[in-house]
Amino acid sequence: MVLDSSPRLDRVFHALAHPARRAIIRQLSGGERNLSELASPLRMTFPAATKHVRVLERATLVRRRVVGREHLCRLSAAPLRDAMLWTEQFRQHWEARFEAMDALLEEMKSEEQTRSRRR
Amino acid sequence: MNAKSLQISTPTDSTIVLTRAFNAPRRLVWEATFTPDKMRRWMIPPPGWTMTVCECDARAGGALKVAWKSEDADPAMTLHGEFTEVVTHERAVHTETMVLGSGETIGRLTETHAFTEEGGVTTMRITQSYGSKEEREGALASGMDQGMEACYQRLDAVLVQPA
Repeated sequence: MVLDSSPRLDRVFHALAHPARRAIIRQLSGGERNLSELASPLRMTFPAATKHVRVLERATLVRRRVVGREHLCRLSAAPLRDAMLWTEQFRQHWEARFEAMDALLEEMKSEEQTRSRRR
Repeated sequence: MNAKSLQISTPTDSTIVLTRAFNAPRRLVWEATFTPDKMRRWMIPPPGWTMTVCECDARAGGALKVAWKSEDADPAMTLHGEFTEVVTHERAVHTETMVLGSGETIGRLTETHAFTEEGGVTTMRITQSYGSKEEREGALASGMDQGMEACYQRLDAVLVQPA
């Protein structure tokens, strides 16, 4: 699981840090595509698309299989899921804390008002 | 987006910045943040843990100590540090070391709290500086045990939507 495998998360976040690679992921969320199908809507050369796919492969976000002369790519969503959890959990933890603080502050404010009315 | 909503950013490789606004004057937000009986209310522990120690002396040189116990260990974790710089109601800097019950240190950071007030709304900005990028990632990855299934389900719903 994510906890102690930050080198893997490093690769995932690095892979996601490029608009072309995010576009590839979006395309692949519709199903398996070959490299030229991925390259053309991005107005990208075949070698450039290959380079981006390799980065995605290293992050295990994309798996590639060769069928004849075709390189078919598909999305492997698990690392994406880990990356999202990683940021989401941290956020939820702090949001819960701050919401508790909101409630506490409301109490503190009304206590103060009560005290000043008594004076 | 709600004006109060939490913003999280990572401006450098080893820092995390949390910004959140509260509908209360700065003095009260400060008090809620650094007074032990108030801290017990919002320092929510992982499920099954209970806070056993909470000491916080928000003055330069003052100590910070918090401990929790779990069903299996007491302490399950302690957090200790020292305030190095304090401007009351405005800014506080303290060190923080997290140690597991086993004695293993799992994190060391410097935390800076800055408070600004405008029209009765206080913005608190917490900057956590870790020793390295790896330590920061460890902190971000912590708390993974909570609500994980709910997260998976939400993500599953997102992933099945056509692009």
